[in-house]
Amino acid sequence: MSITAETAKEHAHDPAVLCCRAEAGITIEPANLEDPAIFDDLVDSGLLCLDGCLTIEEVLGAKLTKTCDSLCPLTKDVLDGVNAPTTEAPAEEAEEVEEAPAAAPVAAAPLKIHIGEGKDINLEIPVGALGATGTAVAEVPAAAVATAAEEQEPKLIRSLTRKHFNITEVKRGPETKIEGTTLYIREGIEKECIDSQELVYDLKIDIITPEDYHTYSETIMDVQPIATKDGEDEIGSGITRVLDGVVMMVTGTDANGVQIGEFGSSEGYLDENIMWGRPGAPDKGEIFIKTQVTVKEGTNMERPGPLAAHTASDMITQEIREALKKVDESFVVNEEVFDQYRRPGKKKVVIVKEIMGQGAMHDNLILPVEPVGVLGARPNVDLGNVPVCVSPLEVLDGCIHALTCIGPASKEMSRHYWREPLVLEALHDEEIDLCGVIFVGSPQINAEKFYVSKRVGQVCEMLDVDGAFITTEGFGNNHIDFASHHEQIGKRGIPVVGLSFCAVQGALVVGNKYMTYMVDNNKSESGIENEVLACNTLCKEEAIRAIQMLKNAMGGEPVKAAEKKWNPNVKASNVEVIEGVTGEKIDLVKNEQSLPMSQKRKEKYD
Amino acid sequence: MKDLQYGDRIIRMEGVIVEVHDGSVGIDLKGRLGFLKVPMRMFISDYPIKVGQEVAWNMSFVEQLGPEVNEKYISNLDTYLRRQKEMREKNQNNKEV
Repeated sequence: MSITAETAKEHAHDPAVLCCRAEAGITIEPANLEDPAIFDDLVDSGLLCLDGCLTIEEVLGAKLTKTCDSLCPLTKDVLDGVNAPTTEAPAEEAEEVEEAPAAAPVAAAPLKIHIGEGKDINLEIPVGALGATGTAVAEVPAAAVATAAEEQEPKLIRSLTRKHFNITEVKRGPETKIEGTTLYIREGIEKECIDSQELVYDLKIDIITPEDYHTYSETIMDVQPIATKDGEDEIGSGITRVLDGVVMMVTGTDANGVQIGEFGSSEGYLDENIMWGRPGAPDKGEIFIKTQVTVKEGTNMERPGPLAAHTASDMITQEIREALKKVDESFVVNEEVFDQYRRPGKKKVVIVKEIMGQGAMHDNLILPVEPVGVLGARPNVDLGNVPVCVSPLEVLDGCIHALTCIGPASKEMSRHYWREPLVLEALHDEEIDLCGVIFVGSPQINAEKFYVSKRVGQVCEMLDVDGAFITTEGFGNNHIDFASHHEQIGKRGIPVVGLSFCAVQGALVVGNKYMTYMVDNNKSESGIENEVLACNTLCKEEAIRAIQMLKNAMGGEPVKAAEKKWNPNVKASNVEVIEGVTGEKIDLVKNEQSLPMSQKRKEKYD
Repeated sequence: MKDLQYGDRIIRMEGVIVEVHDGSVGIDLKGRLGFLKVPMRMFISDYPIKVGQEVAWNMSFVEQLGPEVNEKYISNLDTYLRRQKEMREKNQNNKEV
């Protein structure tokens, strides 16, 4: 396909290749040239050889001396009157490459190429900063913020207090209560849980202490904090009481023994399948109250099945919540206060969190009465997956009860929202004005995806934000909405930074010219879904990179184009650049290589 | 990570939707070349999904990564099948009662 004069200018230093057959004697114009965006693929597949090929700026206006076929690289042999190349080529190239993704959506094949690049893009901005302009880049937003800050004071909107109660032991007893640091769960509560849900045939409670970590477990469907609101307080403000040292864990199968959410294969020995300390995962040393729910056969893949398993498990959590409400204040071991400030005069940003909404385990309960509860919440599938606006504090206070989709390494558990790193970092960053969080579901059908995506764009337009983050969990067709959200927000002139697991396996399905600022959540060694719970979810290090990237983007700094293939070094160099500019060390989290390897497994057989 | 020898031999496969669940679709590959079950988010749809609709995708060949057996998967599979058997037996006993 031929290119326009504008594209030719952007790609002045890229190879000049004929897009179609051209007769000898013609003068080369942009219309004779092929879009350089597709060359990588052609070169890879051996269809194109760019040796000796001139650049676009060199060939424009030159006369073709020989009739050439399409996709023929233009060399000195076939041209008369070649222009001299400009000398600053290397420096300029960096900036021009940045625009390359824009040209990507020409044809199906080029799009795919960009996918690969899209992943890597996240690394780019810091790389750009590596150059001579690097330090200036980082300082621009800071300086801009500083002048604005003098004018207006931050305004405290609301506060949320978390009161932590420590639990060191979980036992069964005649009633559910908390005595000191011991939590008792009522004997026989299982029967009530089973009876409460028609689809639930059986429910077992296992209390897993650190000594029992090496036990077999069915696929982990969810990890949840145990927390309750104080008095009449509502989610997102007031006081929340939370238990430390213990988490709820939902697992289950159907009556034929088939895993609920069949594709999530984190079953196996707990200690080999959990990436400890991820925002959504348990921390090492915590006690798990693990429910193993059996639902009616065949309902494991239907909407009511996973929902029944979660609802039945929540009956136990609810009873613990009631007990937690009665615990004396003197047992509070730690108090955390989250203040939500609006910072007038600072760059206004919004976080768009794309959540699953395709159905069954691809669903989330939004805004329950109790943190990560079930009662009072609405499934986002029933809400039509349309955008729901919440405050950052509502996110941190458990406004999402995640039914969590498949793909253990990249799914966001309920606990992930409770400790959402991007929300936390943005909330505490005094250089930006975080105005809120928008949850938007990812419907199954494409038409619905674009329907909800347009609403997201409209909301952002009405908010008048200066920048936006878009995050998504997992990979698959949700990347279609992810790309569409970028387009809808980006075309309104708002810089967007996207966060997703991509790397090798989660390569983006589609791309567009607004997807230039990308942060990859991957942490696995080889860039794949490694079946280790929460390994590739958004962590603090991604949040820091994304915020720096958005600040640069809002400051108008260009991003280097992504490399063709996923390259983990881009992240490393970006992190280095950020550390260099901020002077703060970023501790990178470990990956699956830190877990015990499965060896002599036979000895472990029962 | 081992490179695939035939990873770039991309062929167009067609299939027929034979199962539709809220969370997944089951697809029979045409020509009795196998069965594929994918979760919803890995399935791209423009229309409401129905049994009998035809689908297509590009794929390559399945290659072994090596002769080694991963004991972790053996162990999981073993446990999984045993559990299923136990549960089936339990279901049967219940019905007899």
